[in-house]
Amino acid sequence: MQRREAGSRTGLGARRRVAAGKSCSLGEGVSIAPLVPCQRSRGWTSPAPRRGGAAASRHRAGKLGPGRSGSGAGRRGPGAGSSAGRARPGRTRAPGSGPPRGRRGVARRGLISSSAGAAHLEPVRRTPRPPASMPPRLQPPPASGTGRPRAAVLPLALLLSLALQGVAAAPAGAGEPEDSLRRQDPELPRGLLEQAARAALHFVNFRAGSPSTLRVLADVLEGRARVNPKKECQVDLVFTTDRYNPEEGEERLGKCSARVFFRNQKPRPAINVTCTRLIEKNKRQQEDYLLYKHMKQLKTPLDVVSIPDSHGHIDPSLRPIWDLAFLGGSYVMWEKTTQFLHYYMAQLSSVNQWKTNDDAIDFDYTVLLHEFSTQEIIPCRIHLVWYPGKPLKVKYHCQELQTPEASGTEEGSAVAPTELNNF
Amino acid sequence: MALRVPLTHVRGKTLLGSPAVRKASQHQVLRISAADEAQVQKVKELEDLEHLQLDFWRGPGQPGSPIDVRVPFPSIQAVKAFLEAHGLGYTIMIEDVQSLLDEEQEQMFAFQARSRSTDTFNYATYHTLEEIYGFMDLLVAEHPQLVSKLQIGNTYEGRPIYVLKFSTGGNNRPAIWIDTGIHSREWVTQASGVWFAKKITQDYGQDLTLTAILDSMDIFLEIVTNPDGFAFTHSKNRMWRKTRSLTPGSSCVGVDPNRNWDAGFGMPGASSNPCTDTYRGKFANSEVEVKSIVDFVKSHGNIKAFVSIHSYSQLLLYPYGYKAEPAPNRDELDQLAKSAVTALASLYGTKFKYGSIIKTIYQASGSTIDWTYSQGIKYSFTFELRDTGRYGFLLPASQIVPTAQETWLALRTIMEYTLNHPY
Repeated sequence: MQRREAGSRTGLGARRRVAAGKSCSLGEGVSIAPLVPCQRSRGWTSPAPRRGGAAASRHRAGKLGPGRSGSGAGRRGPGAGSSAGRARPGRTRAPGSGPPRGRRGVARRGLISSSAGAAHLEPVRRTPRPPASMPPRLQPPPASGTGRPRAAVLPLALLLSLALQGVAAAPAGAGEPEDSLRRQDPELPRGLLEQAARAALHFVNFRAGSPSTLRVLADVLEGRARVNPKKECQVDLVFTTDRYNPEEGEERLGKCSARVFFRNQKPRPAINVTCTRLIEKNKRQQEDYLLYKHMKQLKTPLDVVSIPDSHGHIDPSLRPIWDLAFLGGSYVMWEKTTQFLHYYMAQLSSVNQWKTNDDAIDFDYTVLLHEFSTQEIIPCRIHLVWYPGKPLKVKYHCQELQTPEASGTEEGSAVAPTELNNF
Repeated sequence: MALRVPLTHVRGKTLLGSPAVRKASQHQVLRISAADEAQVQKVKELEDLEHLQLDFWRGPGQPGSPIDVRVPFPSIQAVKAFLEAHGLGYTIMIEDVQSLLDEEQEQMFAFQARSRSTDTFNYATYHTLEEIYGFMDLLVAEHPQLVSKLQIGNTYEGRPIYVLKFSTGGNNRPAIWIDTGIHSREWVTQASGVWFAKKITQDYGQDLTLTAILDSMDIFLEIVTNPDGFAFTHSKNRMWRKTRSLTPGSSCVGVDPNRNWDAGFGMPGASSNPCTDTYRGKFANSEVEVKSIVDFVKSHGNIKAFVSIHSYSQLLLYPYGYKAEPAPNRDELDQLAKSAVTALASLYGTKFKYGSIIKTIYQASGSTIDWTYSQGIKYSFTFELRDTGRYGFLLPASQIVPTAQETWLALRTIMEYTLNHPY
């Protein structure tokens, strides 16, 4: 039904409840410092609404307690090799220099089964630039992963009591006088909460490893954000979710509370998230297994060019392939999301390999990701191994910006990974 | 189902257009690989067995060359047994020939049908440039008193740029401008534009509001605002966004036509890199597709509302995009936007957010409505239609008409307001 499709998917009409002036101790030795709204995406020039007070410009360096930056109770999956694989040493051209070819994102190859999003990354070297003239270009991290799983989970009640504030660290700067006079509860930079929700959801989907019970964002109910001097951004929020593949007549809103930590344009936001169950575990396993059986029956090699086709059509028999591709894509999109960039999966543009020998589904494919706010279409080659109930194993390599003639075609020009880890 | 077999084979083998098309249900097309001369001979033996009624699309030739054969249902088992007994490898290229034929028939009939009248035109599917231009001519021919077609220029690659004018008379009446498809990959917008055109002709004299509007004002509708890009999305790259102009000194093609307008041109909010999807161009109005509209608007001099339609994200936006300073009649625009999205949602519940470009999405410089607003067109809006990322640009064709219907309600609201607030 059209209605569902169109209306219920995002944080539109989100209510943001504001509890003014409350500070809150999170019980781990970190109290809430005066808040500074997170840096806006490229080119957002309006600073936060201001509030007087010297304290505003000095605040704790957002030290996070030990259990903070992890994700849910993940475990390294079977056969996991080194924790994060090798990030490809990229051509680290300083942004803005050289011929007019940008560098895109992070070329990243890693063996990840399930783990926290708290890999330590080398500080990114960036030449200062006027914000928003170009999308930020990232240097690839030479090493990733000491990612370790976290079992810490923030109680919903705690999050619900958090305050929503926005305070500028320093006066100065061209302002929007109107904003600062507006109300006691100035809004967060619009979109940041949705950004965090998206990142959290990608992570949830990846960790669940269940192509039959993927979730999408319904609404952001409330949230707050703070930033530390390193311009890393922490967002606490509560949001509702819908099933990605809603069943007829079924309207099951799940609810998630999350803490998302954006590392100032470095990839791989740290996520700590809990969601109410949308689907009972048994039912989920059942559906996954059905999907799995269906996939095993598909004839190989798959004669698939693109899903959906140009007209948005997905053959029902091929739907599971899309769902599985989306699951793998969730991992990629989680890693690539920053406070400024987010992604949608635009198309499965080619299937390179689809194997179902032994038991697992071994799926090597290319997707096109649509990147906001740059509007770029990014081909990513993904290789995943899935078996129902087991953690998903994923590796990927996203393509750098190149000549438009070659990019984006159905076959993609994604570089074949030269090293394929054994899972 | 997307298949790699060239459809010419099918066309050559069937009696398309004739009522007596042989049923090819469950006929399969096999691709046989003959590794050596002996195997090729074996396949030739198969060829000689007339009772099998095999239809070789690509006959046996050199070892290693694929051999394609259509096998009628009764013979399938025998053929496969033969192949297997002689160690001949094969794959099933087409599981069921009939369904492929049916699909193609449909397309052919649709092709034929569309050329007759706008009443038999299929609004629930995506069309090519030729089909849309054909539609325009049909519409003008059917409603010569109301509709005329203007050519406002030629694209970079030499295609005509057409605008439909809806007018009940007068001389240079105050007018409303609507454009769709400025970003070529946003297919639901051109498709909606086609629907709007038809809708106007249907509703004049039937719908009180529209009749009142057209009795005092003209409507200009540019359905394919970026014809070169649109053709490219059909022929080469479904995800193409920009124009197809060549940039001297770069191997990259195209300029983002929604960053090429003379409003905040050069400021943050667009890219200076020709290889990016938000490349602003070397100078404002460098793109003929943009310049044509600029010239038209200036020489007309009496446009009172300007609406530029994009997808996706479900937003209704007003100026500014390039600066944070609120537009002088911001409150009025906000109110009007609110009414418009309320009207839109009334049909299917589709939720739109609204606000200024810079506050709602991101900073964007050189955008269409910032320029039109600067020309004194007080009611300048940009839409982002369905959806919110699930299908994105590849919106299923089944959503075209609902999208157009609901969007029309918003447009009508804006047009009516403009009519009632002359300036």
